[in-house]
Amino acid sequence: MANLLLKQLFLFDPLSIFFLIVIGIVSLPSAIYSIGYMRGEYKRGKCILAAALLIVFVFSMCMVVTAGNIFSFLVFWEIMSLVSYFLVIFDTKHVKSVQAGLIYIVMTHIGTAFLIGGFMILYKHANCLDFFTIKNICQTIPFQTKNIIFLLLLVGFGTKAGIVPLHIWLPYAHPQAPSHISSIMSGVMIKTAIYGLIRFVIFILGVNQTWWGSLVLVLATITCLAGIIYALMERDLKRLLAYSSVENIGIILLGVGLSMFFISINKPYLAVFSLIAGLYHLINHAVFKGLLFLCAGSVYKATGTRDIEKLGGLIKKMPQTAAYFLLGAMAISALPPLNGFISEWLTLQAFFLGALDVTGGTKLFLGLCAAMLALTGGLAAACFVKAFGITFLAQPRSHYAKEAKEVSFSMKAGMFFLSALVVILALNALKIIKLLAKVASVSTGIDIGNMSFSLNNFILTPQIANNVYLSAPLLAAILIIFAIVAYAVYMSFGRQKAVVYKTWDCGYYKLDARNEYTSTAFSKPFRIAFSFFLQPYRKTQKIRESFYHVKSFTYETHTTQVFKKYIYDPVLALVLKSAKAMRRMQPGSIHLYLGYIFITLLLLIVFMRKF
Amino acid sequence: MIELILFGILAATYLLVIVKRMPALIQGFRYQSFFIFLITLIAGLTENQPGLLIVALLILALKVFIIPFVLNSIAKKISVDENLGLLINAQLSLVVALLLTYFSWVFSGMLGFNNGHISIAITVAFSVIFIGGFLMISRMKAFTQVLGLLIMENGIFLFASFLSGGMPFFVEIAIFLDVFVSVIIMGLFVYRINKLFTHIDVNKLSRLRG
Amino acid sequence: MTIILKIILFIVLAPFLSGLISKIKNNLRLRKGQSIFQPYYNLAKLFSKAEVVSEHASWIFGVTPFIVISSALTAALFINSISGLLLLIFVFALGRFFLALAALDAGSSFGGMGASREMFISSLVEPAFCLVIFSLFLQSGSTNLTVASIVSGIALFLITVAETSRVPVDNQETHLELTMVHEAMVLEYSGRSLALLELASYIKQMILVILVARIIFPVTMPVFAGIIIVAAVVALLEVSVAKMRLFRVADFLGVAFVLGIIAVVCAILGV
Repeated sequence: MANLLLKQLFLFDPLSIFFLIVIGIVSLPSAIYSIGYMRGEYKRGKCILAAALLIVFVFSMCMVVTAGNIFSFLVFWEIMSLVSYFLVIFDTKHVKSVQAGLIYIVMTHIGTAFLIGGFMILYKHANCLDFFTIKNICQTIPFQTKNIIFLLLLVGFGTKAGIVPLHIWLPYAHPQAPSHISSIMSGVMIKTAIYGLIRFVIFILGVNQTWWGSLVLVLATITCLAGIIYALMERDLKRLLAYSSVENIGIILLGVGLSMFFISINKPYLAVFSLIAGLYHLINHAVFKGLLFLCAGSVYKATGTRDIEKLGGLIKKMPQTAAYFLLGAMAISALPPLNGFISEWLTLQAFFLGALDVTGGTKLFLGLCAAMLALTGGLAAACFVKAFGITFLAQPRSHYAKEAKEVSFSMKAGMFFLSALVVILALNALKIIKLLAKVASVSTGIDIGNMSFSLNNFILTPQIANNVYLSAPLLAAILIIFAIVAYAVYMSFGRQKAVVYKTWDCGYYKLDARNEYTSTAFSKPFRIAFSFFLQPYRKTQKIRESFYHVKSFTYETHTTQVFKKYIYDPVLALVLKSAKAMRRMQPGSIHLYLGYIFITLLLLIVFMRKF
Repeated sequence: MIELILFGILAATYLLVIVKRMPALIQGFRYQSFFIFLITLIAGLTENQPGLLIVALLILALKVFIIPFVLNSIAKKISVDENLGLLINAQLSLVVALLLTYFSWVFSGMLGFNNGHISIAITVAFSVIFIGGFLMISRMKAFTQVLGLLIMENGIFLFASFLSGGMPFFVEIAIFLDVFVSVIIMGLFVYRINKLFTHIDVNKLSRLRG
Repeated sequence: MTIILKIILFIVLAPFLSGLISKIKNNLRLRKGQSIFQPYYNLAKLFSKAEVVSEHASWIFGVTPFIVISSALTAALFINSISGLLLLIFVFALGRFFLALAALDAGSSFGGMGASREMFISSLVEPAFCLVIFSLFLQSGSTNLTVASIVSGIALFLITVAETSRVPVDNQETHLELTMVHEAMVLEYSGRSLALLELASYIKQMILVILVARIIFPVTMPVFAGIIIVAAVVALLEVSVAKMRLFRVADFLGVAFVLGIIAVVCAILGV
């Protein structure tokens, strides 16, 4: 029993502190935001309940990232899952919330089961629960066992992080919670799974198999693409953001997986560099996804709908929210000079730099991963052009959007805080990279004393002489100067005001909101290009008065959720089938159940005899 | 002396197996509890432990008087059918009970109790537990499930008191309270079931399954 | 100082390339065609005209021309090194993002159509572009003309065709609703704003053509000659093939992507 004692309750190393900071900078503005958001939405008692749950939720996340032993890690991990479950079903009026909560709680417990499996194997070898003791023991664990532990942990944490195909709960659960909670869930909670991966796989277990990194890279690539393609198809603003979280987890994992890959082939510099890229994207995503969810919440609060087909023209009704959303959308689309650009750029560079140090087919593999990252970036830009353009621009598409008003001060304050962080994280890239280097060094166990991250220049090619000297503030300055010069030129050609007139309508003179491009129309090219994956189908129905006159015409289009259809549905069917078979054992008779217990007891006693 | 009381307990337990009506079952339980009270009392007197004396008095109060009284009143309230509804008839039940006792004997040997009255006590304790379980399985009325649980609790108490000289005082008190509350709750349940379905035949509850 | 001169040179010469391509194109069609300096005349005309702005448009519509031209000019700064090329992807994305938003801003169906198609094409361009840069990066150091550099040059040429809205991906000459992509996005613009946007697209075209010329042709050849040859090939392609359906553009860019993979493989093999 002595080895069950918890000697090391807490662990405050740079990795934990980094995650604490991430939790803090997203939770604080979300909490401020919630003051305005919850007012009028629910009754007073329920608001207090929400605030209490929020506190417990944030607290449990803080505890997860600072736990110093497996036991307390698991306990707080579970508290985090349960509290977030309650927050998902908080809006009990909607049947959808309860369904989403069910999917969430089932998936998250499947994940936890895998985690417990992995942890038990670790415990069996180490006979101790403390991280450092296990870390020391891990060098002696045979590699087959390590492989099993790695796979168990990957599935366990992957479920929480939302790696495709374990992501299915995420687009249901995240949008159903109140918006500030969605912001914390998407911004921070799924990152605790990344923390787990770094802590347990890189820090404790130690990577010495090349295929671990490759597997994570492949999964991450699939996650990126699937996430963003689904996001493009989505017309529910918050679900769109949730799918985009799946995508961004993929990008973060590209950095982490690459780091694992380089650790296993013993390239310390590249390992640290890739992990920096991953961690940088992690904090960036926390900030801008938090911001976007808060903005989406404001839109929901102001209009009462999350369906972007019903929105439009909000930029005039809610100018500040629109500006914040635009900033977030730019950041998430990796546009320079904002923070999303810097981290994606670092990740791409990690791929490029790494390709110089590996041989043969691995180069091609890294190149293809980089290309897929670029594709993801392009699709993300398309997705957020759609999200911003359809929601905020042009004319309102329904009365929901027509009657919208700017949201209250506390909500704006929360959004402003995160927007400021987007800019700060972009312009102070150098300092942040240096700090992250320490975090990466601790988590990989690599000494960075003799490495120079002369990253005020975003070096791409340390081997090649003509580096591009580029820093984020410089790039921002260049962009702004050129824009100002262009403006000066523009003004120098005359100062007459522009004539305001109707949009060009081909002489139709009755152009209204119904002529605008919709979100579904916007995503149609993508739906067709990725039809092998989305498997779209449509239903049309014409009601005719006569052959020439069609009275009404309905058109529906849907996409198939391939993962649900080809993975989850068969599994579910199997479970139901076996449950039906089990039913024969379950006739509902108390005597029989008692008999089962009794016989089990007797058998156990007999079984005991052998030992 | 102690052996005699132990055999008394065993006899009371066999009595519980062969009875067919509710009042008789409660009476049997009363006998069994009374013997347990005696054993605790003797232990308390010989070892001079005031704690054990209090426990003994509690047994007398709760298990010999109050619980049987409560159960009786419930049985009266229901007053539909006093038959227990034996799934296995009395003779066969007795055979099973004997087999369970034999099994307990073997098992106590397995656990390493080979000397004198401790071995007998452990055997009796196990038999009481097993037979309590067996009663729960083999009787139709929900009532027996309540009593089966009480009988098993008696067995566990016996086991604990012989194995380690009694449980800590407070644990004992807590268990008593627990048992008492559970009797009341289950009694209420049985009453409700009876009101709702006009019977307490647990067999028919199987219709409720999905 | 040289940087500023270079930028000014870029701005001055960029419309010329467009005029050159259309001149070659018209000659190939055995037409007389417009003057080679027509793009300059167009810009001058647009700069002197007043603007008409849609009543539904917001400030996004107003700032977009400046952001687009700023991104094009910034991109022109970074074409000298490979890491700079990687930056091109992102900088171009900035201009395109705003252009697509501005297209949605006025609320006409054309704008939405253009924005949707442009984002579609560009997102498919990006992986191919990335692979081309990757291949160049692997070859960097060698100045010899290799199979890898030629293949990546061809891939980049296809990308150029797509990015500069040339036939068979898009057609600059027509304003047919069903086919236009880039033109649909700038449909609402007029006057000086349109002039800035046109200039930005000339600069972008210039950047990409210079890149293709530098990759395919040996360093000993003057860049200027290379640019003219590439321009001629673009023109030849424009007159000899028909515009593709939008959904076949995916196949077209798929070819570019596969060529990119081949280029990477060649670079790995060192041929």
